[in-house]
Amino acid sequence: MTERGVVFDLGYAPHEGERRGRRGAIATTYRDGLFRVLGIHRRARKKILPWLLVIFAILPALVFVGFAFLLSTFAPEAESPFGSHAEYFGITASVVLLFVALGAPELLIPDRREGVLAVYSSRPLRPDDYVGTRTASLLTVIAGFMLIPQVLMYVGFAALSSDGFFRALGTNADEIPRILAAAAVYALAYAPVGLLISTIASRKAAATGIFFGVMLVGTALAAALVEATGVPGHRFAALLGLAEHPTQVSDWIFGRVGSSDLVVARTGFDPWVSLVVVLVVAGVSSTIVVWRYRRIM
Amino acid sequence: MNDTPILSARDLGHAYGSIVALHGVEFDLPPGRIGLVGANGAGKTTLIKILLGILRPTTGSATVLGFDTTKDMLDIRSRIGYMPEDDCLPLDVSASEFIIYAAGLAGLPQNAARQRSSDVLTLVGLEEERFRPLGGFSTGMKQRTKLAQAIVHDPELVFLDEPTAGLDPEGREEMLELISRLGGFGINVLVSSHVLGDIERTCDRVLMLDGGRVLRSGPLSHLVDADVVSVDVLGDVSAVVEHLTAAGATIDAGGSRLLVSSSDDDPFRLVRDALAATGNGMRSLGPKATSLEDVFLEGSET
Repeated sequence: MTERGVVFDLGYAPHEGERRGRRGAIATTYRDGLFRVLGIHRRARKKILPWLLVIFAILPALVFVGFAFLLSTFAPEAESPFGSHAEYFGITASVVLLFVALGAPELLIPDRREGVLAVYSSRPLRPDDYVGTRTASLLTVIAGFMLIPQVLMYVGFAALSSDGFFRALGTNADEIPRILAAAAVYALAYAPVGLLISTIASRKAAATGIFFGVMLVGTALAAALVEATGVPGHRFAALLGLAEHPTQVSDWIFGRVGSSDLVVARTGFDPWVSLVVVLVVAGVSSTIVVWRYRRIM
Repeated sequence: MNDTPILSARDLGHAYGSIVALHGVEFDLPPGRIGLVGANGAGKTTLIKILLGILRPTTGSATVLGFDTTKDMLDIRSRIGYMPEDDCLPLDVSASEFIIYAAGLAGLPQNAARQRSSDVLTLVGLEEERFRPLGGFSTGMKQRTKLAQAIVHDPELVFLDEPTAGLDPEGREEMLELISRLGGFGINVLVSSHVLGDIERTCDRVLMLDGGRVLRSGPLSHLVDADVVSVDVLGDVSAVVEHLTAAGATIDAGGSRLLVSSSDDDPFRLVRDALAATGNGMRSLGPKATSLEDVFLEGSET
């Protein structure tokens, strides 16, 4: 007997499996945010910059640990000339600033420009969920930039310690809350401003430019205004240097106040003032972003 | 058949500042394929946005699948799909990636999202192009992708806002064919369009809006058939008219062709009796051919 083939018209089958509702929508949006800022599932040219920044953030830590290994091998008595955890934030802060300038617009602007918000508006997702998950995606990657090199250094230096690995880990454990706190301050100082600008700007390049303008040109302008001694209250211009505040707070956290040549420090502002500025700017920025998305979603 | 309304509104209104977009809108729409008809500015998009929970009504209330649009937004959005009129596609990802993402956004687990994405893209005829970036798609392919994202999660009800906008005749035919098939999949459909022919092709019920108010609502067959009989009389037309008038019929005469209706009796029977009583013949007899456009124009003039 000849075997007969059977043709099925699959057509459309109803979905009778699990539906995860809002929880699933939030998880999907969060994962998409991570992929988007890192260029995953995007064209090759969208992967280049984020992964270059990942390399810039991590490579120095590997080099530091590598040199420390060489030193410990060939000159055990020599003190490592390589940076502390506090100093390493100076490297990653620049990388994070670049990353936020590129990543925040990528998270928010295409969805608005291409009308994809209409799709989110038909899914079990509130506007606050959308903004919250996009912010969480950005903060997660920033945390990666900030913390992965620190962990490499922490574990690497402990492994090379003459006191033994576990003893060194315990001895330096007090660095951990400082590292986490400093990373949080940098993330709070940069991410909300980047997201606010990306909420207002209609093009990614414009948002990136404005972010650099606010952070870098703003800080240079603040320094210039502080020098204008003829203007009453000129020292308060130092508070406009938004890029400097997290460094001032980070130095405070690591007990290194006065070690950096910051305008805000030179003009006599205490580190807690910088912390207040960071928190207020982050709060106001986030409020505006949420308010705007509640209106358009 | 379950006739519990899937869409209801009571004294529903919405105003953008001083501009009233909807006013006193009331309806109960049973499951099926529903056409939302109205000219530009009639309030169709505002109504859809209220039903999706994007806009809050300024007066009254509305329910979708039994859920209140202001209180149960997430319950509604878990059960519906929406194909917007405007662009809603990210240009730098493939159709497959986007439809998987759209399914995930509706709460489907990753494996189910992948499987259904493949199935639905095949259903809308994009299986060959599913790995191409959406930025390179034609208007027709984009419209089909928009439909795919609206149904990928197997919603109970899907809102289609001007689904044939920008399509060439061939693409329009394909889209209407797809919409007609949705009912067979157990998906209720609300199609918003100002192209009345599209509604006639795809829907079995109509909600007509004009100036933010409900103009007509009901089964398409009731609206377009309207118990009016058209007869082309062969012989003494005036005698037939006189007999029909005496029998209580309403007549719209134009030469030998009469449009006959009656609120009390079957107009076909009245015409038959009048022709028999006056000894006249006829060239043709049948229900008046009425299009949705006629109904809309007639309603908006009154």
